[in-house]
Amino acid sequence: MNKRLVLSLALSIFALTGEAQAQTSVPPGYPAAYAELIEAANKEGALSIYSTADAAEVSELLTQFRALYPKLKVEYADQNSTELYSRYVAEAAAGATADLIWSSAMDLQIKLVNDGYAMTYASPEKSALPDWAKWKDQAYGTTAEPIVFAYNKRLVPEADVPRSHADFAKLLAAQPDALKGKVTSYDPERSGVGFLYVTQDVQISPSTTWDTVKAMGKASAKFYTSTGAMIERVVSGEHTLAYNMIGSYVLQRNRKDPNLSFVLPKDYTQVMSRIAFVSAKAKNPASAKLFLDFILSKAGQVELARHAMTSVRDDLQETHGIKSLPGATEVTLKPIRVGPELLTYLDQITRLRFLKQWQRALAAN
Amino acid sequence: MPRAFRIAVVLITALLILGPVGLVVYQSFLSGPFFQPNSTLTTQAYEFVLFEEEDFRDAFVNSAIIAVGMTAIAVPLGCMMAFLLVRTDLPGKRFIEPLVLVPMFVSSVVLAFGFVVALGPVGIVSLWVKGLTGSIPWYLYSKTSLILIAGLTHVPHVFLYASSALRSLGSDVEEAARSAGAGPLRVALTVSLPMIMPSILYATVLVFFLGFELFGLPLVLGDPERILVLATYLYKLTNKLGTPSYDLMAVVVVSIIFVTLPLVYTQRKLLAAASRYVAVKGKASAQRPLAIGAWRWPALGLIVAWLGVTVVIPVTALVLRSFLASWGEGVGIWENLTTAHFRELMEYPNLVRGIVNTLLIATVGGALSVSFYALVNLALHRWRSRWTAVLDYLVLVPRAMPGLIAGLAMFWLFLFTPFLQPFRQTLFSLWLAYTLVWLAYGMRLVSASLLQIGPELEEAGRVSGARPAQVSRDITLPLIKAGLIGSWVLIFVTFVREYSTGVYLLSPGTEVIGSLLVSLWGTGAVDLVTALSTVNLALILVGLGLMFALGNKRHA
Repeated sequence: MNKRLVLSLALSIFALTGEAQAQTSVPPGYPAAYAELIEAANKEGALSIYSTADAAEVSELLTQFRALYPKLKVEYADQNSTELYSRYVAEAAAGATADLIWSSAMDLQIKLVNDGYAMTYASPEKSALPDWAKWKDQAYGTTAEPIVFAYNKRLVPEADVPRSHADFAKLLAAQPDALKGKVTSYDPERSGVGFLYVTQDVQISPSTTWDTVKAMGKASAKFYTSTGAMIERVVSGEHTLAYNMIGSYVLQRNRKDPNLSFVLPKDYTQVMSRIAFVSAKAKNPASAKLFLDFILSKAGQVELARHAMTSVRDDLQETHGIKSLPGATEVTLKPIRVGPELLTYLDQITRLRFLKQWQRALAAN
Repeated sequence: MPRAFRIAVVLITALLILGPVGLVVYQSFLSGPFFQPNSTLTTQAYEFVLFEEEDFRDAFVNSAIIAVGMTAIAVPLGCMMAFLLVRTDLPGKRFIEPLVLVPMFVSSVVLAFGFVVALGPVGIVSLWVKGLTGSIPWYLYSKTSLILIAGLTHVPHVFLYASSALRSLGSDVEEAARSAGAGPLRVALTVSLPMIMPSILYATVLVFFLGFELFGLPLVLGDPERILVLATYLYKLTNKLGTPSYDLMAVVVVSIIFVTLPLVYTQRKLLAAASRYVAVKGKASAQRPLAIGAWRWPALGLIVAWLGVTVVIPVTALVLRSFLASWGEGVGIWENLTTAHFRELMEYPNLVRGIVNTLLIATVGGALSVSFYALVNLALHRWRSRWTAVLDYLVLVPRAMPGLIAGLAMFWLFLFTPFLQPFRQTLFSLWLAYTLVWLAYGMRLVSASLLQIGPELEEAGRVSGARPAQVSRDITLPLIKAGLIGSWVLIFVTFVREYSTGVYLLSPGTEVIGSLLVSLWGTGAVDLVTALSTVNLALILVGLGLMFALGNKRHA
């Protein structure tokens, strides 16, 4: 046998084994017709994703997806939620844009879906999702991340740590001087997520929330636009207590630096979700559907949970969902519904009116 | 240069500027995004922003105050330092000079964060001072601090302009003043600096503009006290209304453009007699450093103090932070040292591609941009025509757009212009946007050197029978070589740290470090941000070190 023949034989064996690992058949539990979708995706051969999740956080997820569908060339672009929105809307108007849109700005995502930018697709995984996490077979909540209080473990005595929203308001009202300038949160005037969470608070528990805002005003709380800036300042001790932080970011930092700790408020803990949809203008709709199914599948959810984006699936709640976090057992979860309710505060008059009210409460002392 | 060629260059440049600017102006008169068919012509955006938005007034006033304050600090300091480091026998100037440029290398978001780590309420320096005196005598998040830091960090911009102009100035006039009995300060104020007035004026106008569209520093330092400037106001506007309102953003930009017009007018008036500033004449003149005697030490003290506050403190804090697991009140530094952030950084997807792209766009792209700026300058050179006036006004307009909006406008152009579409997802679109946004900057650098060339040199060429193009190639260009290299260094560092302009033009495959930093900052990965900035800084310092080493060898 000559050398070249040996080489080509070896290569074809490699190719065969590689093929065997890839998804050639329908995943277990999926309808048989799914084979057609895979075939269509393989024909498309490409997939473009716009997302707000940092590329480093999902690199392993993408690797696993590529291993399943090696014929797809996956492109992943991360950007902030406003930029993602602007880019997507303009590109959609020009005719060509990404296939899958995946963002943590829940209200903007629902607006896009409501404006007809999403393709209808009933994911085979949808029965594993709670009702709040899906809308019209178009928008899917892919994670369930708690909104928490974060605090500096070094500087806040364990007895002072607020365990509920009412505790938080009480603590601030009781020690306005000791906590002067030490409390922080998102600025609802300048941060979309901050706005979303505080409006949700007001809907769940109006009087406590307004008490908290007033107490924050009294304690000269500092309001920020950037998650990183806030977490960093809580770690350093410039601030010690943060209200309404996105759990996944805090949890990530907490795993590296135990000085930063967090509480899931007992009375209720808001749950946010990164919403994904297949673009109505997708050039590669079949590939986008495969990816959507993959992030909703058990394997995808376990991988996301590894990066602190806790699972939305009912069957993973105890192991990879919020319930797997410390102190989560006796907590009432209040998920933000993936649905048209999110449009309420995108109405400009409603929005400006709320902000005026927030400012008044902050200044009311 | 032949007249037809000049007109062609002017037209192309004007088109390049008016494309994105025209789009923004058009957008400002629409009721919705220009690409949506149901948008109608209206002036309601103007009514809303100019008459109903208190925040806009606030932000505008703040931006104006910051721009004025920052210019008032940066220009005199930058000029003095340029004089001291270029014209005098100041001790250690060879080592100091590259350090002066460091604030330009670091993305301003990151530099501002360096200030937080060092001088914030629980900053490393703050805690040390507090330990000594019992209190911290400054507050980093006040408007005054913001103006001061903005002023100090923009000294290098003025320095670069002033020093490149001073370098091509013969020492004969200074020596004449010295032998007539003038002290060093008097020489600087009445001889050297007035000689380079065009460069200083350009620098003043540009720094003022950089102040007007300042983004990174107020984003970080203005965050806690919610100090709004125009660029951060754009974000607030988007959020206040829920979705991005391009019509309102466009109005904000148009209002900034209107500020540029009187400024350019004043500048043109002041420079009307450009021939007063000719310094490179037909006669050779040597350059000797001016002896400043006992003044050396206070002068050195001034520079070292500036370096300490603007470079050493924030940059050291930043680099230190990149090696710390945790920091702040009650945390020891030694037991928290770690290299984990760098290991994490090495695993970051597309990191190498980002670095390569950045270097590519800064070196090759920077050189191309400078060539373009030189071409436009040569086309306008010694051309008494209305075209020159038109371009004088136009050149500054792209800089009136905050980087993010300029980038958005370029993105729209590439997206909706059929023949540009194929280039949208390549580095070309990014390069074009950078070149356009920094047009005024690079143009001025090149033109400052051009202004200093005596017309007799070029006339000599014409008399001995050279064609216009030959004169440009064989006489003018070689004379401004130093100026061109200076511009290239400036453009290189500017492109390396540029971030907001590229946000919309990036696509998988064309990532650059600047925008990687901003996206990491957004997701809260401060560990990675500081580690990446440290790597970025190291890369630039190695690059510049090599350049200086090569430069010195050539002179030796």
